[in-house]
Amino acid sequence: MSRQATGLRAWVLQRISAIYLGIYFIYIIGHFLFDPPTSYQAWSGWLADPFVAVAMLLFFAAVLLHAWVGVRDVVIDYVHPIMVRVTLLTLTGLCLIGSGLWVMRTIYLAGASA
Amino acid sequence: MKFRIYRYNPDQDSTPYLQEFELEVRPGMMLRDALMALKEQQDESISFRHSCGEGVCGSDGINVNGQNCLGCITPVSDFKAPVTIRPLPGRPVVRDLVVDMSQFYQQYRAVKPYLIRKDPLPEQEILQSPAEREQLDGLYECIMCGCCSTACPSFWWNPDKFHGPQALLQAWRFLTDSRDQATEERLDALEGPYKLFRCHTIMNCVEVCPKQLNPTRAIGQIKELMLRHSI
Repeated sequence: MSRQATGLRAWVLQRISAIYLGIYFIYIIGHFLFDPPTSYQAWSGWLADPFVAVAMLLFFAAVLLHAWVGVRDVVIDYVHPIMVRVTLLTLTGLCLIGSGLWVMRTIYLAGASA
Repeated sequence: MKFRIYRYNPDQDSTPYLQEFELEVRPGMMLRDALMALKEQQDESISFRHSCGEGVCGSDGINVNGQNCLGCITPVSDFKAPVTIRPLPGRPVVRDLVVDMSQFYQQYRAVKPYLIRKDPLPEQEILQSPAEREQLDGLYECIMCGCCSTACPSFWWNPDKFHGPQALLQAWRFLTDSRDQATEERLDALEGPYKLFRCHTIMNCVEVCPKQLNPTRAIGQIKELMLRHSI
């Protein structure tokens, strides 16, 4: 089994990340609806709160995980030539990791400038 | 009523085509009756499988106006003309409406569709409580017509690796059987991204099953059991 991509773990990660995404979406939409930041200062002050920053970092981690499982599923379904598959998965992985690192930098800088 | 029937004889035709027929439809006529009437009266070379004529043998799965069904228990009056009859999708065509179901049977064989006992077999039957027996309802009724698996996109893309709804319904039928003693082995065999986890809950299988069974629910129960056995 060890030479196979995972089935159960990917599936569980997809479900759990989906639940977090759902809850966070309600929270963030509610926040921007009822208490939108009025200036950049207010925005970065809000992000300096560790709970807010961690919740947002977790949100992006969940997005990346969810996207990875989703793209992996699509590739396994439709892309059968092995080299094309490996290339696509590698590119997807690099894009997702890059996006994640950039998000971390953005959230850190926004919080730090408060 | 106008019928359009998928015709393909690999020995003669370079490509498949639809042949049109006009047939007087009787009240209460089933699709299988219509096919037999066409074969008798208009073109005896039309090929299709059928046997019992009452939805028990599962031989005459066909695709009618885009939906898989059993020809013998589906009334012609359910459809708007022209009625387009094609073979079950995604399977290699042997001739006309007859398809090669080998991969479908291989997937069924792969889930070990029989009771596995580790204890020595008793002299008498292995008894079940009524509640334990009830677990098998909605599972044992499958007649293996193949309507569900051939309606499943995941099975179209990976018929060699994904078990498909029919085989997975049977996998659950034995996992949930109180007399079976190979739960761990069965679950281990289903791990990996293909055999079970290609199911994306599309639910075409539930929509087309002529026995109103629910393979999607069975697949969900397998995943749940797998999760419970993993942590």
